[in-house]
Amino acid sequence: MIGIIDYGVGNIKAFANIYKNFDIPYKIVKNIDDFKNVTKLILPGVGSFDHAMTSLQNSGMREELDKLVLENKVPIIGICVGMQMLANSSDEGELKGLGWIEAEVKKFDKSKIINAPLPHMGWNSLNIQENKQIVSALDSDPRFYFLHSYYFECKNKEDVIATATYGEEFECIVNHNNIYGIQCHPEKSHHNGMQLLKNFGELKC
Amino acid sequence: MTKRKYQICTKCVMDTTDTKITFDEKGVCDHCNTFFKDIKPNWHPDDKGWQEIVSISDKIKEEGKDKDFDCIIGMSGGIDSSYLLYLAVKKLGLRPLVFHVDAGWNSEKAVHNIEVIVDKLELDLYTEVIDWEEMKDLQLAYFKSGVSTIDTPQDHSFFATMYKFATKYDVKYILTGGNYSTECIRNPLEWMYYQSDSIQLKDIHSKFGTKPLKNYPVTNILWHKVWLPYVKKIKLIRPLDFMPYDKEEATQFLVDEFGYQRYAQKHFESRFTKFYEAYWLPEKFGYDTRKVQYSSLILTGQMTREESLERLKTPAFDKESIKQDFEYIATKLGISVEELQSYLDAPNKTYKDYKNQMSIYDIGAKVLRILGVEKGGKR
Amino acid sequence: MLAPRIIPCLLVHNKGLVKTVKFKEGKYVGDPINAVKIFNEKESDELMVLDIDATVENREPDYKMIENLAVECRMPLCYGGGIKTVEQAQQIFNLGVEKIALSSAVLENPSLVSEIAKEVGNQSVVVVLDVKKKMFGGYDIYTHNGTKKSKVSLEDFIKELQELGAGEIVLNSIDNDGVMKGYDINLITKLKPLIHTPMTVLGGAGTLKDIENLVSEFGIIGCSAGSLFVFKGKYKAVLINYPKKEEKEKIIKGIK
Repeated sequence: MIGIIDYGVGNIKAFANIYKNFDIPYKIVKNIDDFKNVTKLILPGVGSFDHAMTSLQNSGMREELDKLVLENKVPIIGICVGMQMLANSSDEGELKGLGWIEAEVKKFDKSKIINAPLPHMGWNSLNIQENKQIVSALDSDPRFYFLHSYYFECKNKEDVIATATYGEEFECIVNHNNIYGIQCHPEKSHHNGMQLLKNFGELKC
Repeated sequence: MTKRKYQICTKCVMDTTDTKITFDEKGVCDHCNTFFKDIKPNWHPDDKGWQEIVSISDKIKEEGKDKDFDCIIGMSGGIDSSYLLYLAVKKLGLRPLVFHVDAGWNSEKAVHNIEVIVDKLELDLYTEVIDWEEMKDLQLAYFKSGVSTIDTPQDHSFFATMYKFATKYDVKYILTGGNYSTECIRNPLEWMYYQSDSIQLKDIHSKFGTKPLKNYPVTNILWHKVWLPYVKKIKLIRPLDFMPYDKEEATQFLVDEFGYQRYAQKHFESRFTKFYEAYWLPEKFGYDTRKVQYSSLILTGQMTREESLERLKTPAFDKESIKQDFEYIATKLGISVEELQSYLDAPNKTYKDYKNQMSIYDIGAKVLRILGVEKGGKR
Repeated sequence: MLAPRIIPCLLVHNKGLVKTVKFKEGKYVGDPINAVKIFNEKESDELMVLDIDATVENREPDYKMIENLAVECRMPLCYGGGIKTVEQAQQIFNLGVEKIALSSAVLENPSLVSEIAKEVGNQSVVVVLDVKKKMFGGYDIYTHNGTKKSKVSLEDFIKELQELGAGEIVLNSIDNDGVMKGYDINLITKLKPLIHTPMTVLGGAGTLKDIENLVSEFGIIGCSAGSLFVFKGKYKAVLINYPKKEEKEKIIKGIK
């Protein structure tokens, strides 16, 4: 059962609709009681880093999540700001991140982006570097929808599965043990996004 | 009353789910026999037929030479009308206006197919969009009525609009993709009553509709079977009857030449018709329109009976997507899934439970058959 | 490489879709749900749906309709029309919509931009400015479907919106709306240097070449269109269309 974490941030319905279409069992998780029977987790995220971290803290689910993810090794995928939260900290905010992956979140260097604004917004190609299950059956040149001004930087480069380029190359999909992060929005990236979410849903755990 | 024992035709695959079916001593059904007796002898998909359609086309071209277009072709995005367009332009040299009626249920494939055909043949397209709020209300009225012909709102609007358009712009020739090759056997009236019966449409609307039909185009059988052809002299022509028309060949040709996308079944250009024929009719009434379509193809040598029986073993609807289709239909109609289910579970009604012009159709059909104007026909 | 976003813009009037010309004479286009479904199946980059009645009729957004549209979108959806408060915006986000578009409300109450941005992030707050040419050069902002002229200077307001945290600015040319003879290049040339957030233009696109030219001239810019993606041919036959992958690639190649 996939648990879509609803802590007041992110497009919960979009994930729900996709798993409903695939007939993959899911539930919306709003408090710690909802974690029952959940075998995988989705951590959506939009908006600012601090706002997301504060909302997660206020939801009352933070401690249980730490336990499920770090001790029970429940597979989890952080989406967009949800991915950035996996890091230790972000240039964007004052608060600490979840620290589940050794990484920092940096702001794009505007001087490197020619004739285009921030945030990085629109459809861009992924450069797949590791053929892991999470990225199986995607197009040969898969394009996803992005919307962010900050990017993830892993300390351990073996954690990087895919990159994308906006002015400079940056990490787009990462994976450390049971923890996954994706900077773009699979829930809004048509068939490639749906395939990726399906892959996550079908991961053996 | 004892239920009739199940029997299936030995030649085609029509069976006793058509409760009016009769069989001869060889077990061959009346649909087949009507085909052999009335249709086949008068149907010339050969050189003779070709000469005839060329001659008709010449007349159309001559009469329309000073106009922007010389005929109208109704286009649904389906194979028959798409192939007809290619034929009309490339083989018969006609200059048609392509006419499409949007009843709110176009599939993406249909829209794509219309676009590729119209673009490649460099034709002009005219679309009439039916008022969706009225269509929605009328469709819901039909669901509530319990009759089997719930696709009437779409079908009725298709030819009503086309005929009105032809009259308005004084176009004398309407070409349609209707053909014996794939439609020599028709859906029994019990399954699909006449969609042109406006008395029935108005009665069902008055009993179950909530919005007045202000923009929805209503036609009636006398208008388009008598007034239009005999008074306004608007002719309806089915060019595909004048030549050999093989469905699979035509489809593959469209795929190769135009980038046409195949549908899973006939009439699946419309999301609603797909739901109606693949799910609603079989599930609620036990009527499987594939039997009619396959039987036509069997009689015209495009499918074997064995292949047909094999295909009929699996349901017409896709088990994986039916739940979403059901939800989409309910959402679009503005009702809950439970409400739609309640209509599925409600008692079945027939066209006889509502006002109808059946008597006029009966007389008309007899007259037209006597005059040799129509062969076969619905029963 | 990042591609310029190509965004169909649909107008809702009396529950149905319409297409206007210079903000007048709405031609009926049909059911919003099926149109959105088809755009989704054609894998549109994004979609913008604007309810042109809500503000004029001073009523709430049609939440049921919005929810039904959001369900069909596997790409970002932006909804605009009648949003005046943070609560309304939040309710719409909860229905599965990515962005909300503000127009008349921000002229009356510019701080609405920052109030909503505070809750959901700047990226989700879009401001749509309907503009018309002034008699002797320059542009005026209009609201209420092009019927009320604002006294606010366009250039000043664009500056203010960015300071308040608008995530995207959409310039909608009333003069070119529905005319299908190209975007108002003069408008874009004049204002693009003032805009540092993502920018989208709407009004006038008649062919894919117009979008190609726009991208070739301005690089990464949002290319929105209504008539282009909804009509076909000289009779303006309603037929939903959207550029295919190869056509999009051609447009991207044109970026200098």
